[in-house]
Amino acid sequence: MNFKEFQNQSRLYVIGALEAEELEEFEKARKKFGKKAEDYIGECYGLHEAFALSLRPAKSSAAIKDRLMAMVRARKEA
Amino acid sequence: MRVTKSRTRPFSVVPQLEPGAPSDFELMKAIQAEDPDALSQLYDRYNGILKALILRVIHNEAEADDLLQEIFMEIWNQAKNFSSQKGKPLGWMVTLARRRAIDGLRKKQAYARAEERLQNETEQQPDAWVHNSTEEEIVLSDTRGLIQKVISGLPPAQQQAIDLAFFRGMSQREIAAKTNTPLGTVKTRLELGLKKIYDGLKELRSEL
Repeated sequence: MNFKEFQNQSRLYVIGALEAEELEEFEKARKKFGKKAEDYIGECYGLHEAFALSLRPAKSSAAIKDRLMAMVRARKEA
Repeated sequence: MRVTKSRTRPFSVVPQLEPGAPSDFELMKAIQAEDPDALSQLYDRYNGILKALILRVIHNEAEADDLLQEIFMEIWNQAKNFSSQKGKPLGWMVTLARRRAIDGLRKKQAYARAEERLQNETEQQPDAWVHNSTEEEIVLSDTRGLIQKVISGLPPAQQQAIDLAFFRGMSQREIAAKTNTPLGTVKTRLELGLKKIYDGLKELRSEL
């Protein structure tokens, strides 16, 4: 696998769309390309952020935050 | 259009913050130091985005609220595992939320019902990704509009393949079966679509 092919596979990898047999080859290439590969995969995770930001934010009830913060404070005090 | 040549900086199209507001990194650092107020601010900043993502996966308001609460609790508990070297806080939170939402979808065996709903959505709104675009919310609307422009520039089949992979957690084989499309075609659609979005977002980042 050359680096261009690795880049293609990386974009599939970060969204979990590689099939098992592709994953094995991908991990081999990842090892081979080392830091360059890790940097590129890191960049690809920006796709997650972009997909989430493409959605219109949804409202949640105020009770959710109240419950969350009560749990967090209780956890901290425990 | 100016295109950045940077290869090391993770691309990111994040909303603008109010002047003086702590950055996401600063909030994460404070959460790592167990400051509940920092989590409260992070919640205010991103609960809407994460809830939208969860809803897109599980299509159930009450379950989405419960999951949102669990995810922010996990953010609190797992904050020590966040490393700024590996990316931005929002990316980390989205990855975590997506994984939890897809796990939740599978665990609750709601897949069949969601599939049916998805089928209806797909038939009624072939460009489902675009249907969220008409709203009043200000801070994120420009960013969202720009990202949607990139996504909506893809052929519908590519949008659908990416939507099923990202928001439903489907494998290429599952997408092929669901859309009655050869596996090789699904792979090509995903590869081409993701490359276009990736390249489009890099251009977008250089413009912001």
